[in-house]
Amino acid sequence: MRLSKCLNNYYRQLIMSLCLLSVISLSSNVFANEVNIEAKSTSRAWHNVEKRGTKQDVYFHAWGGDQQINNYIQWVSDQVKQKYQINLHHVKLTDTSEAVSRVLAEKAADNHRNGQVDLVWINGANFASMAKYELLAADWAGELPNFELTNPTNNPAMTRDFGVPTQGMEAPWGQAALTFYFDSLKVNDVPQTLPELLTWSENHPGHFTYPKPPDFLGMSFLKYALIILNEQQPANIKEKLYQEATVESQVQLLPQLWQFLDRLHPTLWRQGKHFVSNGLALRRLMGDTELQVSFTFSAAEIPSAISRYDLPDSTRSYRMKDGSLSNIHFVAIPYNSPHIEGAKLVANFLLSPEAQSRKQKTAVWGDSSVLDLSQLTAAQKMLFDVPEKQHASANIINIDNTRLLGELHPSWVKVITEQWLTRYGVQ
Amino acid sequence: MIVANTLFTRVVRNSPYLLIALLVVPVLGGLLGVLLPAFGWFPALGAHEFGLFGFVQLFQTPGIERMVLLSFGTSLVSTLLAFIITILILASYFNSPWLKRIQRLLGPILVIPHAAAAIAIGFLITPSGFLSRLVSPWLTGWDTPPDWLLPHDPYGLSIIFGLTLKELPFLLLIALGVLAQPEIGKTLRAQHKVASSLGYCPMTGFFKVILPSLYGYMRLPLLAVLAYSSASVEIPLILGPNTPPTLAVAIMQWFSDVDLSLRIKASSGAILQIVITLSLLGSWWLLELLVKKCSAAFLINGEREHGGMLIKRLTDMITVAMLTIIGLALVAMVLWSFAGFWSYPDILPQQLVSLHWTSALLQMQTPLFNTLVIAISTTLIAIALTLLVLEAEQQNTKTISAISGFIIYLPLLIPSIAFLFGIVWLFEQVNSQHAYVNVVFSHLLFVLPYVFLSLANSYRRLDPRFSSVAASLGVPPSKIFWQLKLPLLISPILIASALGLAISFSQYLPTLLSGAGRINTITTEAVTLANGASRRTSAVYALMQMLLPALFFILAWAVPKFFFRKRG
Repeated sequence: MRLSKCLNNYYRQLIMSLCLLSVISLSSNVFANEVNIEAKSTSRAWHNVEKRGTKQDVYFHAWGGDQQINNYIQWVSDQVKQKYQINLHHVKLTDTSEAVSRVLAEKAADNHRNGQVDLVWINGANFASMAKYELLAADWAGELPNFELTNPTNNPAMTRDFGVPTQGMEAPWGQAALTFYFDSLKVNDVPQTLPELLTWSENHPGHFTYPKPPDFLGMSFLKYALIILNEQQPANIKEKLYQEATVESQVQLLPQLWQFLDRLHPTLWRQGKHFVSNGLALRRLMGDTELQVSFTFSAAEIPSAISRYDLPDSTRSYRMKDGSLSNIHFVAIPYNSPHIEGAKLVANFLLSPEAQSRKQKTAVWGDSSVLDLSQLTAAQKMLFDVPEKQHASANIINIDNTRLLGELHPSWVKVITEQWLTRYGVQ
Repeated sequence: MIVANTLFTRVVRNSPYLLIALLVVPVLGGLLGVLLPAFGWFPALGAHEFGLFGFVQLFQTPGIERMVLLSFGTSLVSTLLAFIITILILASYFNSPWLKRIQRLLGPILVIPHAAAAIAIGFLITPSGFLSRLVSPWLTGWDTPPDWLLPHDPYGLSIIFGLTLKELPFLLLIALGVLAQPEIGKTLRAQHKVASSLGYCPMTGFFKVILPSLYGYMRLPLLAVLAYSSASVEIPLILGPNTPPTLAVAIMQWFSDVDLSLRIKASSGAILQIVITLSLLGSWWLLELLVKKCSAAFLINGEREHGGMLIKRLTDMITVAMLTIIGLALVAMVLWSFAGFWSYPDILPQQLVSLHWTSALLQMQTPLFNTLVIAISTTLIAIALTLLVLEAEQQNTKTISAISGFIIYLPLLIPSIAFLFGIVWLFEQVNSQHAYVNVVFSHLLFVLPYVFLSLANSYRRLDPRFSSVAASLGVPPSKIFWQLKLPLLISPILIASALGLAISFSQYLPTLLSGAGRINTITTEAVTLANGASRRTSAVYALMQMLLPALFFILAWAVPKFFFRKRG
């Protein structure tokens, strides 16, 4: 009985693989013809999207705490108005989770067709959450003509959000890496690795802090520390950071982080008894000169803050030598958006060389492009190398002599937050 | 009184039902929208079984007892302090021109939204703030900001400070409003005069004669202040600790957490918040009984003088200190809004620039328009409805029943954080897509009670003989209402309107939630920016938040003067 079952399974697998093989060889045989047909059908499908999407109102829910980014989105809305007569409304969020709750509330109320959110700026845990509760439209990112310019087949980062496959629910928009900054008049011995940061903070108590988790920036600092502190571990343990957190992997990886924080916290701003609640408060404290070293995910905000007097002119930015946490941010369309075609047109425009090159300019936003330059025409490439006059803080020290660290699996966010709050949340 | 059956009287007669419905349906519906998830019913998350696991989760939260204690302590102490200072000010400056002056100086604070007030206080007391700069380095020797724990101290002192400063002008205005009513004010003043002629020192006379009557009129506003402060979000968020925060702040964070399953814990937290608020109201009631019992002997012991001068001195000091703090906060805010780079410990910025104002004013047009449209429509509805209900009272020659009277204050007494999230769910249920209408509707919940509170006494105390005489001359009720009562009440109506506008201007959570984030007002922008990095831009918005309501209060004050001069 058992043997026959085994055999049965064996045959089934064999037949399956044979079938697969034949399909592959078949398709490679007719590859040349297929491409043409596919290109034609895509463009026809896209033509339909263009036809239906024009003149729609698109409500773009995006974090609104930065004037530069808001201005960029305003520019995008002027552009799509011209191109497609789309009225793009920027709904300024203080936290992306507001949009997540809204769509969830709509689903709870059986509003499956007429949602208020058409497009949302998202990544990481917010995306994982929306994907888990099936709040997003699936399989649309591949339809965007400009998506090919990110070279997704050779660049798996474009289809994975913090390690979770996006399954066409998101189109990439930009990428960022953790950048530190300091006041060059006050700090002579800039800490350039995590251990140096601890020593520096011990020598200059009260001049460094990080936002309280689950804040995104605070979480990013903790992830950076977690990766660096586990560098010496064997590869099979290290790689568990990029998989779903289990009881076992927590025991193997987290103690290093808590030991480090136990030493770091007494040296922090307010002796680690109070933590700021969001990333932007760090910049305010730098401007108040209460902090002397801090960090951000958007390096371009530093020169722009200097120009608005929010940071001293002597501020300089750099990356840690032992690595810089980096991630990609995306736009997604909720499953109940009534303007899905308009939202796709906007997402496609956001990926255009025109929009991406403008976004990359320090004076505009300074967010790195997600396009693969090798996929662009010469004229399109030209858009990306316009020389700019920059403040000294726009040149990031160490940018070429450090590596980018990948994001952890999103399940670690909850684990770290919960244990952090138990350990340090009540003081 | 027999009243003719005209369209006007029919509208008037039915208006109380509309008022009750407008307040009860959203509040109870919103509560239901929170109650169900609190006990585990949340179909969108796949939770279909009733149970207590939300509460189990809630009570396992690290530091939950500290959160509860912080919410309870800060609101009780701040309300008590604000009340005591109000009474001290009234007692010390009763019948003195200073009372009017203090009112005029404190009045503007009433209309400053909580977020703006918290930002201003923060500017003052942070280690790199204005106070520390004033005394550094010549007195303290600090050339980098000290590492002290204000604001955000774990005992909630900064929250108490912020709340007291914000509640005080409201209570003072309410008390002065009561005293300004011709009938009560005259009676009380006359009684005070009698007490004085019997040899009571003015201060003791106030405590023994006026306070016992005055307190009755202040009880409900006091309870509203207590309930509000127990569940307020803005001040604890900006000035309070976060290891752990107050319960209301924690609930808001759980509601907006990425981890959607926290929504159930948040709903259970909202229920706990209601329990806290109720027990606060209960404690206040007990406190009241206690004071009544203890002071009964004091009231009739015939003693004419109880350290009046000492109390007066103390009040002078408190008043001066408070006004100084407010003045400094304003100066600091204005400086920030024009500041170039401003390094510590300089008292003045290195350069003054207008960049922050010009760029903010450019971005402010849509939010400003939204703010005005919403506030004006909300206030018009609130004033009209309040007047109709009060007129209905007089036509029925009895005040609305105790239950209805209580219902009007329902949105003020139930912590808004508990039902607002439910209201969004309710709007979804009725598929109400008009963001403006939803926002006006939810603002109404908060504007209506204040407008009613501010108008009811004046309307009820209006000498009924005026309308009796008019009616006996054959004037129809509608004419009495339009041509007699309204002109007589023009001043309180305008004050109530300005108050309504100010309340609407300051709403943050209701605008954000029921507007689906689509409607930006000055306040939502200010709070978004307050969380942001620029003290300069948030100073501009905070100042704008103060200027707007101030403008309408000035109008409310100036228009009747003009109006009466024309008639006289």
